[in-house]
Amino acid sequence: MKDAKPLLEARQVFKGFFGNPVLKGVDIALFPGRVHALLGENGAGKSTLINLLSGALQPDDGTIAVDGQPVERLSPASARAAGIAVVQQELSLAGELSIAENIGLGAYPRRFGLIDYQALHKGVRQVCDMVGLTEPLAMPVASLALGRRQMVEIAKAMFRKPRVLILDEPTSSLSAHEAGILAGLIATLRDRGVGLLYISHRLNEVQALCSHVTVLKDGVVTADQSLAEIDGKGLVRLMVGRETGELFPPRPPACPGAIRISVEGFSAGLVRDAGFTARVGEIVGIGGLVGQGQEDLLLGLYGAIPAKAARAEIDGKPGLPGRVTEANAAGIVYVPADRKHEGLVLPHSIASNIILPSLGRLARGAFRDRSAETGLIADLAKKLTIKGDVARPVQALSGGNQQKVALAKWLPLDPSVFLLNDPTRGVDIETKREIYLMLRNFASEGRLVILASSDTPELVNLCDRVVVLREGRIAAELTGHAITEEAIVGAAMGVTERVADKEAVQ
Amino acid sequence: MSASASNWLYGAVQHRRNRGLGGLYVVVAAFLVLYAALFPGILSIGGFSKFTQNWFPLALVTMAQALLMLNGGITLAIGPLVSLGAVIAATTMGGAFGVPGGLLAVSIAGIAIGAITGVVVAHLRLPAIIVTLAGSFIIGGAALILLPRPGGFVPDWLSNALAGHTPIAFVVLVVIVGHWKLFLATPLGLGIYAAGDNPLGAFRSGVPIERVKIVSFALSGLLAALAGLFVAAQTGSGDPVIGTPFTLNSIAAAVLGGVGFIGGKGTMRGAICGSLLLSVMINVMFFLGFPPVAQYVAQGLIIVGAVAVPELLAQWRAGR
Repeated sequence: MKDAKPLLEARQVFKGFFGNPVLKGVDIALFPGRVHALLGENGAGKSTLINLLSGALQPDDGTIAVDGQPVERLSPASARAAGIAVVQQELSLAGELSIAENIGLGAYPRRFGLIDYQALHKGVRQVCDMVGLTEPLAMPVASLALGRRQMVEIAKAMFRKPRVLILDEPTSSLSAHEAGILAGLIATLRDRGVGLLYISHRLNEVQALCSHVTVLKDGVVTADQSLAEIDGKGLVRLMVGRETGELFPPRPPACPGAIRISVEGFSAGLVRDAGFTARVGEIVGIGGLVGQGQEDLLLGLYGAIPAKAARAEIDGKPGLPGRVTEANAAGIVYVPADRKHEGLVLPHSIASNIILPSLGRLARGAFRDRSAETGLIADLAKKLTIKGDVARPVQALSGGNQQKVALAKWLPLDPSVFLLNDPTRGVDIETKREIYLMLRNFASEGRLVILASSDTPELVNLCDRVVVLREGRIAAELTGHAITEEAIVGAAMGVTERVADKEAVQ
Repeated sequence: MSASASNWLYGAVQHRRNRGLGGLYVVVAAFLVLYAALFPGILSIGGFSKFTQNWFPLALVTMAQALLMLNGGITLAIGPLVSLGAVIAATTMGGAFGVPGGLLAVSIAGIAIGAITGVVVAHLRLPAIIVTLAGSFIIGGAALILLPRPGGFVPDWLSNALAGHTPIAFVVLVVIVGHWKLFLATPLGLGIYAAGDNPLGAFRSGVPIERVKIVSFALSGLLAALAGLFVAAQTGSGDPVIGTPFTLNSIAAAVLGGVGFIGGKGTMRGAICGSLLLSVMINVMFFLGFPPVAQYVAQGLIIVGAVAVPELLAQWRAGR
């Protein structure tokens, strides 16, 4: 392999967003005839690296080289011209166009300026046979199931006869049969000398398909080696273990209070047949890879999406809240991940955002009680250490402070259960510390905090108990010293099966 | 495009795309039968000609609107563009270059105004609805400056040809629709659908989405301006405000024809059927002596129904 020239490389690339470094000097080289795996935890920088390699983003520093030649500014168009094709996680299909028209999109064969449907048919038939698409080629893509659309997306990448094929989580929506076809296809392409980059969270798949691996951790390469020399546990070890320092408040000794939420056979959205209990004074973490049902679990408990359970008890009362207003009345509040759209009214002032859930409670008759509102706002702003004028629009605040406002607005309702969805995403480190301390204080005041997080260290260092979701089911429930990054990432990736919960027995 | 084998996939794609229109065809046919029963005159050449002449400008502006809606946009400048087209036709046809000069002037004005609008929307990334709203004031104002009062000159022979006793307008419409079909068979034309449906995906796939948008606006402008020329020939003069009702009627007809507001959804065939349906309904109500107010109310109810019924049907099916 050493004598071959890499088809595509990144050399010491740096990339940051808004002063937050994501990639810090990353090298990767794709060789012809090799399936290269790219692994890393949520937020390790994998997507950013793919975007650099495919020309969707430009590196801040370092170079992208094609066939050993550095390319000044790689654009999506020039990447395509160089034979680089990407199968993205979000599909690039047009639902109302046919399978054939989607596969050929952007590369239609032409005759007299018109699309040459005969040539298109021939070319598309060929790639469809390779990926096992037997549906009529004239069928609109919108009428296909998600897994079949993913296969169309793969066929679309194949149609351009790529020299480099980047596959970002291609199997997340595929059936076992389709994944098998894809595996065969990858082997065929490899033997033809195509360079492949394969991103997946399914370690067994990676081990079966790939021969070389690059592991990213916090934007740094922690391994670039042959896959034969390392096993699943070793890979997980390379992905975890970030520096956390003094970020987290000390965890008080476990003193479980009364059971506040207890569900069995709970299903909502992606979540299937989940069972867990959460007690007063606890911070319960929900972990797992992105999109395994964490959000649906919270929304189901909040009554925002239809949910059902074989048995459910909240504060000793049976049943789940059917609507958001019922959940609020029961003292359950939700802080969404997308604070900009769901959590806050951005152009409005800090004050009016904070006061929004309390307006009805503070009102005197049909009129607002301005003096009570002013008092409450001043009180909350002080509690949250939000500095400056509360009449400023929320969008003038940093991401972290916006998150504090999104949290704070619920406090006057004195909620007993906080459901938080990734509250520290895109939040600076100082504000993270404040938020962690706030959450710990909520717990010690006798509230229950349920925290879905894509940040594993947060789960390990903040939570009293962690539930790991995988494909909508609970893959592990960890308590006390059993909460380690290895255990969480391992369960999330399906390396370890259901870890025994020894601490709970104790 | 002559060999049958080369068209197999093309034909199958067209068939699938237009399959959902069966219900619309039935409704249109029912209204046409009702119309023919009420006014058997439509079955003569002259009656058919008059009928299609009434329909023609609405069909054109509906195409102009649907073109943009398929691309995920919309235009509120259709009416003023029709007026401007009529005014330009009526002021230039008496000039040195006669009717060909007028036709050229109207076409260039339509394409240029459309293209400029498209550049503003595509490159400045401004919402089409706002840009075309602003554009509608500017274009309407320009029409009034050119010809403050109805007037101008349209040669009689042109009026007789387009709005006389021969179905030339219908033939012209067929030719225009044929050109649209050709355009849709080009990568750029199909790009209208792809970019309307999934702009980011289309961009990543190498579809020049900005160019597609500008071309859509330019063609839309051309169609609206040509509708104006026709209206001028029909009325024998240029009227600077005659196009006003076409803005909302074009949207209504496109929606009746199943063109969605979010882009990529619908067909031109459906939109043209929608314009025919709207045209027949307006005629039927007019000839049955409905008071104008009742006509508007009925029109509104029918449009809401046309959007609501498929939606409710889908919900009902999903709920079962």
